[in-house]
Parts: sequence; C-alpha cells; structure tokens
Amino acid sequence: MSSRTLISSTQVKRGRVVYWTLLAVVVTVFTLVFLGPLYWMVTGALKSGQEIAQTPPTLFPQDPRVQNYADAWNHLNLGKLLFNTFYYAAGAVVFQLVLDTAAAYALSKLRPVLGTAILGSMLATLMIPAMVLIVPQYVTVIELPVVHLNLLDSPFAIWLPMVANAFNIFLLKRFFDAIPDELVQAAQVDGASPLRTLASIILPMARPILGVVSIFAVTAVWKDFLWPKLVMPHPDTRTVSVGIYAFAGGTPMNVVIAASVIAAIPTVVIFLIFQRNIMSGLTSGGLKG
Amino acid sequence: MLDTRKALGILLVAGLGATLTACSTKGDDSGTDTDGTVTITVDCQPVGAQKELLDNWNADVAAFEQANPDITIKSVSVGEQCNNPPDFTARLAGGTMTDVFYGYMTDLQQVLDSGRALDITSAVSASTVPTWDSVDPALKEVFTDSGKLYAVPVKNYSMGLVYNKTLFTRAGLDPANPPTTWPEVRAAAKKIAALGDGIAGYSEYSAGNTGGWHFTSLLYSQGGRVLSEDGKKADFNNPLGRQVLQNLKDMRYADDSMGDRQLLQWGDLLTSAGAGKVGMFIGAPDATQAIVSQFQGKYEDWAMGPLPGQDGPAKGTLGGGEGYFFKKDLSPEQVEAGLKWIAYQKLTPGKGQLDYVRAKPQNYPVGLPQPLLFANGSDAQKQELELRKANANVDTGNFAAFENNPVPIQGEPRNAQAIYAVLDGAMSGVLTDPKANVDTLLGTAQEKVDQLLAAGS
Amino acid sequence: MSVLTAAARVHEEVTVHPAGSRRRRRILDDLTGHAFLIGAVLCFALFMWYPMIRGVVMSFQRTRRGETTWVGWDNYTRIVADPSFWTAWQNTFVFTVLALVLGYALPFFVAILLNEFRHATGYLRILVYLPVMLPPASALFLFKYYAYDPSEAGLFNAILTAVHLPTSEWMQSPRMTIPAMVIASTWMNMGSAVLIYLASLQNIPGELYEAAELDGAGVWRRIVHVTIPQTRLILALLAMMQIVATMQLFIEPLILANGAGTQDSAVSVAYLIYQHGFFQNDLNGAAALGVIMLLVLAVFSAYYVRLTTRKDDA
Repeated sequence: MSSRTLISSTQVKRGRVVYWTLLAVVVTVFTLVFLGPLYWMVTGALKSGQEIAQTPPTLFPQDPRVQNYADAWNHLNLGKLLFNTFYYAAGAVVFQLVLDTAAAYALSKLRPVLGTAILGSMLATLMIPAMVLIVPQYVTVIELPVVHLNLLDSPFAIWLPMVANAFNIFLLKRFFDAIPDELVQAAQVDGASPLRTLASIILPMARPILGVVSIFAVTAVWKDFLWPKLVMPHPDTRTVSVGIYAFAGGTPMNVVIAASVIAAIPTVVIFLIFQRNIMSGLTSGGLKG
Repeated sequence: MLDTRKALGILLVAGLGATLTACSTKGDDSGTDTDGTVTITVDCQPVGAQKELLDNWNADVAAFEQANPDITIKSVSVGEQCNNPPDFTARLAGGTMTDVFYGYMTDLQQVLDSGRALDITSAVSASTVPTWDSVDPALKEVFTDSGKLYAVPVKNYSMGLVYNKTLFTRAGLDPANPPTTWPEVRAAAKKIAALGDGIAGYSEYSAGNTGGWHFTSLLYSQGGRVLSEDGKKADFNNPLGRQVLQNLKDMRYADDSMGDRQLLQWGDLLTSAGAGKVGMFIGAPDATQAIVSQFQGKYEDWAMGPLPGQDGPAKGTLGGGEGYFFKKDLSPEQVEAGLKWIAYQKLTPGKGQLDYVRAKPQNYPVGLPQPLLFANGSDAQKQELELRKANANVDTGNFAAFENNPVPIQGEPRNAQAIYAVLDGAMSGVLTDPKANVDTLLGTAQEKVDQLLAAGS
Repeated sequence: MSVLTAAARVHEEVTVHPAGSRRRRRILDDLTGHAFLIGAVLCFALFMWYPMIRGVVMSFQRTRRGETTWVGWDNYTRIVADPSFWTAWQNTFVFTVLALVLGYALPFFVAILLNEFRHATGYLRILVYLPVMLPPASALFLFKYYAYDPSEAGLFNAILTAVHLPTSEWMQSPRMTIPAMVIASTWMNMGSAVLIYLASLQNIPGELYEAAELDGAGVWRRIVHVTIPQTRLILALLAMMQIVATMQLFIEPLILANGAGTQDSAVSVAYLIYQHGFFQNDLNGAAALGVIMLLVLAVFSAYYVRLTTRKDDA
C-alpha cells in the first residue's frame, strides 16, 4: 500500500502547489457531482408539490414538510421492503459461497471426468446478459421442469439463479488454481476428506476472493430490477427498488423521493462501517491484472 | 474414508433436493379447511396512501366475515393501480393472481388467452348476487365471451372534461360553462396557461398506455373508431385521427398551453393537477377522487363537463370499467364465497363501496355520477341514486354539466392495452416534437397495430 | 509435515496399490468431484442451459388460450417487422458506445487520479460509491423528477440558465434521450468500477513505475506502458461486463422515459423484449427477440475473444 504509485512522493513534494490545487478542485467537483444531487434529494423531499414546480428552484425548502418522510415510511411499507432486500442479498451470498465455491474447488482440485466440458458450458454463459433469457427463465421459474414447482414469490427464485454465475466460478477457480496441488494432496494423505481439505486448507487461504464474491452478490441483488419485479410479484415479497417503482405511479413525487432517501440510509451506513474491509477485500481479492 | 465420501455425496445431493422441496410453498390449496371454513384471496385492496379507503375496506372485510363466519377473506394490495398492464400480464402468465382478481373490461381476451379464468355463468344469479338482475346487461355483456360469463362488473365510467374551477375563475373564464368543443378548449387553455407559474391550460397523457387510452377517447369524440368494423385493421389513420393529433399539436406548440412536462402517465398528470397546475384534462369522474385522496388536491377546485366534440357535442366518449374474475381451479364453495363478497362489497346499495353514509364525512366524494352499475329504472339503481343524493358531500352541481349532457358511450377496442401501448408513440410524438408529422405518426402507429392484430388472430 | 514428503507419500501410495483398486479410487474421486459440482451444475442446468433451449423452442411456438402450437418463423417475422425493432437496436448500440466512452474510460481515470492522492482518499472514495448505494429506481427517480425536469424548475436547466446556456428538454428531446440516460446510468453505476480499478491499481508493483521513470517516461507514458498493461486483464474483463450490462439497458428507459420515450427514442432491445412479453402479451415474440439478441452477442463475443487472444500472441 505504501509503495509508490504513478507519481513518486518526491515528485509530489516538488509540485506541491499543483498537487494541492488539483486535490482542491477534485474534492470540490466530486462533492458537487456526487453529494450535490443527494442534497437535492434530501431537501427536495421536504418541499411541497408547488415548491418543486417553482422557477428557479429553491436551494433550501421554504416550509419543510417532514410529513413527506413519514408518509413514505408508512405508505410504502419500507421496513418490509428493506428487510426483503437484505434477506435476499444474504441468501444470495450464502448460496453463491457454498455452491460456487464447492464447484470451483471441484473443477480446480478434484478435476472429475467431464470437468472441463462442464466448466466450458458454464463459461459459455458468461456473455449472456440476463435480459436475453428473461422470458424462458421466467417461464421456467413458474414451473420447474421435472419437479413441477412454482418458485414465484419464493426467495429461491432469486437465490438459485444467482448460483448460475459463471463469473464467480471463474474468479474462484482462478484463485484456487494458484494454490499448489501439493498442499491438497498432502492433506489427503493425512486422511482428510475433500470436504475437510476444502474447509481447513483452501477456504482460509481464499478469504479475500470469498469477500469479493460476497460483495458482487450483494451488489447484484441490490441493483437487480426486472427479475425480482417478475418473480416476486406479491407486494409482501418485493425488493426496495421494485416496491418504490410500484408505488411511484400513484404517489406524489416528493413522497417517492423521500422513500428513496430512506431506502438508501441502511446501505450507506453499512458501507461506511465496512468501507475498509470492502476495499481491502477487493485489493487482496486477486483482482490484479 | 470411503464412507465419509459417500456420505458427503449423498449429503450434498440430499441437501439440494431438500432446498428444492422446501420451496414448494404452493401446495394444492383447495381453500377449504377441515372445519369447513372457506378461504379466498382478493386483490385491489386500497394501499396505505388511501388511508380512509383502506380502513373502509378492512371494516367491510370484518363485517362480512362476521356475517359469514365460514368465509375468510385475505386481501392483497397490488399497488397504487390495481391493474398496471405489464404486472397484470406477468400475474396471468405466472398464475399468481388472487383467487378472485381484478381486471379491466379490456382484459377479457387476455385473461382468456392465459387459460386461467373460470366460467362463472351458472354460479352467478340473484341467489348469489342479490342485485344481479339490476346490473346493467351491457356491462355483463362486456365480460361475456361466446355466451359464457367470466367476471362480475364492479365499476363503470365514461369520460368527460375535468376542469379546475379556481383556475377558470382566475383566467376570467366562467366556471359554470366549461368549453364544449375542441376549439373552445383550445381558447380556454390559452387563457389559463397565460396565468404563468408553470400552469398548463390543458394536460394530456403520452406514456404507460394512458396516452393510447386517451387518444381513443379523443377519437371517439370526433366520431372515429380505433379499429375497423371487423376488428382486423386499424382505423385511425384518417382525417378524424389527424384532427385529434392536430388539436393537441396546436395547443402544445402553436399556443404553448400544455406545459413543459410531457411523457406523462397516470400519476404524473394527477400530481400536477393536485398541485393546481392543470386547467383541464379529460377523465372519468373518479379522477377527482384520486386527485384529492392521493395527490393532495381539493374537491372544491374540480368540476366536470361532457367530453367536447370538434364542432358541437362529442360524437362519442370512451366508457370503461372494472370487474372481478375468478381463477380456474377454485372450488364451487370458493366461487360462491367470492361472489358473496363482491355482492356485499361492490353491488349492495348502502354497503361497501356504495356505503354513502360512511363515506359522507370522509375525504372521499359522494355524489359523483358513478359507478353506473345498475340499469336505468332498476330497483337497485333507484335505491343507490337516492342514497347518493341524500349523502352527497360534493357539490353535485359541479358534475351537472357532465350528467345532463350524456354522450353516447363506446367501449374499448379488442386488445386494448397492446394497442394503447402503440398509440402512446403517436401521442408522445405530437407532444414532444415541434416538427412531428401527424401523418407519419399515425402511419407508423397503424402499421404496428395492423401487425399486432394480424399476429393476435 | 512438509509438502515434499507428502507428495512422495502420495506417489508411494499410488504405486503400491494394485491396478483394480486404483481404478476404483479414480471412480470414487470422480464421484466426489461431481458431488461437489452438483449444486452449481443443477442451478446452471435449470436457470441457464435449459432456458436457452426453452427460449429457442418457445420462439417457434405460440400460446393462445392455454394451447401451444408450432408456428415456424412467424414470431421472428413479426418481431423483425415491428417498426421499433431497428430503432431499438440502433438505440442500444448508441447507448453501448456512449456508455463505453463515458462509463468505462471515466472510472479508470478517476481511479488513477484517486490513487495518486495522499489526502482525502477515503472521503473521495465514499463519494464516488454513494450513488451505487441508492436503489437503482431511486437514483433514476432523482434524475427524472429533479435533474431532467424539462421546465426551468429542473436542476440541470436551472444551472444552464444560471450560466446563460440554452436549456434542454432532456428526456423529451429525441436527441438528448440517450445521452441523458448514459449520464444517469454512469453516475449511478461508476462507483463499483472505480473501486475495482482502485483495487487493481494498488496491486501494481511500484518498482515498475520507478524503472519507467528512470527510463525518462513521463506521466502519460507511464500510464500507457505500466498502468494499462498491468491492469489489462481487469480492463478486458470490465469492458466485457460493461458491454453485457449496457446491452441490457432497461430500467433507464422504463423510469426516465416512462417506457419507450418520445417516438421510440428511448426504446432498447431489452425494453422491447419486455414490451412484447408483458405489454403486448406476446411471450413467444419476446422469446424470439431474446434468441436474436443471443445470436448477436455470440457473434460479438467470439470476435471479442479472438481480438483479446490475438493480442496475447503478439
């Protein structure tokens, strides 16, 4: 971390004025670009419908309506929506970690017959965006082949398809490949079962990459829209994004914006707390060139 | 070691199997418990934002369950709009509708296509729905296909010109005499828009299927039809359709009296209306209800006249409505329970949605010329009208112009929602592009609709 | 026990066992391997491989009144004849290119910049990542209602007016629709890419810069000759992910443009799939469009793989 970057410390010291000016400019611009709209959002949600339509827009709400926030919380059932979203995210992490890690381990270290073919068919889906398969996937979830189950409104409709993630398997396998085979064989000779080997040798070494996969899983659930909209049709099972959208059509826009502000708070808090871990996870997670 | 491995393999397989079976939450639920209680799920429960309506609904459920101890009603609220077309389609495709589910009159074909609706012809009668014989036969007809009835109508409306009296007064217009022709609307819109402050004289939809819906109504007012007689071809690419778009284009660009914000859908326009920024728009009487109960508006502001025509009264107006369908796999007991509930909550004067005594003190209008469910002169109609007049809490004079000048009502076209999605394009074109060519817009829409109809048959 | 001795022990074990036992051992190993694979494989089978086949099958069928019939190429001819079809491809293509320029290059340079600062790095990092934490629908409503309001009450127009520039109608102007969607999309998504780039930048050994500097390379040449080659894999991976993501342009038109936008100016292929499937009640047509999109992407990715591997050979 303390090692040098593009520009050396001596260079920075020499061009101190340039450095500080640049820093000041960047801090100002970034604050305006990224914090500005959020300020607009928080205060906009406090304005009345008339005030929002005013020209030019007001910088501070003239007559703050805290009621908008209360309405948003009460009418949109935000607590439930947030709970659902976190529940789905947590489940997605667990399912991806367990099943994808097991698969990547098998492909990397156990190498069963047809392993390469399986890996190939998995990687072939890497370039397929979710949208392409949305209709057949949706029809499949409505009635799973062979078992004839309907997964709609069941969290498994989000968890299981997320396991089919070639990118994660690729990342994990690449990481496992870097672990010497000898270590694994040594453990086997000591009488450890493959599961034990995985648990006691591979996983401890793979912590960073597991962190990366978890971050990706959470982000994917958080950002997904159409899939949860389709497979979680019941109002009680919706995610935050889908829920806010569902109510936007018939709710005054300041209340919609207030709901958006509230919905963002828990994630922002979580990010602020785990910021360091997330960054170091990504850094050590084998995301090198 | 061998055993551990074998066990492990079995465990993994079994584990996955277990997770898969664990999610089979939807067992075959006949809806009847061992103790003989029948449970049905019903959608379109009002959402939290409509507090009083929701309280009324919940009170109705409680009262109904008390009167029918063997029936349990489970209410589901699907969103601000009970039927948002893509969500409705998804529910039909996925079979996740409630046992008794809400739909528009235009949805019958789509519901039949899904193969998930129950033929309720033999189940509906005066014994299950006491006021059935008073229900307007035309409405029953809308939900009938090849002699079979698929839904019970619960609401019926026709469109007129909704206008803001306060803005009329401010603009020097007579709030008691709304414009009756499109040229008059244009002149009035110009005056109202001149008030400035971001006020639109006339406002119109152009997204989320609502644009096509309103185009249809505007076309009816000109005497046109969306589809040809046999329903196989688009029939709006003609002088009548052109007139509709030209009127809008003139107001939007020649006069600049329609405001800057376009691409509006249902809630967008009503939000502006609630904020007092809309002079006129076309809509059903209950649009005023939404403006007040959901969008922070005031009843005193709003009045309604008949739909304008091009050079005289409108030649037709769009009529539509709602009903409840029944899911295919329901048991006879469930169907009966569902009918009882609808009869109680929707079709009994003095109860449920027609309980005007309860609604009178609430922030909910009584006295609107709605819901037009019962045939003229029938017992239920007389009873309902009497109650409505006695408990009116809005100035019925505000709707007199609308009520006293009835315009012939036209139903919506076959495949309405898909056609509306196409017509949104023509509406958004004329409202956002000053250089839009009306003929091109109609031509493109015609091409798409023809194709859609060809594919559908 | 050291690795070496362990390896020797393994060798010993294998050699002493008779052939039959070895084969049995091999089969057992395979079984264990597949036991570990089965969960992921089942999920792939159910939610990827099977839907691919199902999609192709559906695209040649038509379901009406609960009955499914084979209709040959009907769905395809209908989909391609739709006047919105080519518009959607054109829009998606323009969006993808613009999003690559803005949404792909920008985060890389932001990451390089942030990596050079010795102060306020935590603050800046959080700022860039903040929009990612908004639910996507929320971020887009923010743009729709406030930033892109076509009247002068809108945030962007207010700023433009303040600096005496002509205002825009944003989502209502067919010319601005796509750029406006790219801006919103980049703002709300670039945080993830910046963090990933930052992580990979921190893994570049400092000596490489040192060496380049000794060779007299300036800042720009150091970026070209050290930074980019050192992060090449991540760059290539993210480029691919970015393209796949932008091809799915959906929620932006849905929320910002209330659907197709003005005269189809916002309609994307993904939105068209949704429109056919769920507005027009034509899941079969939507499946056909999905198959077409799949083929286009297959051709593209084959080309992309060839392009990247050829670089490897060079």
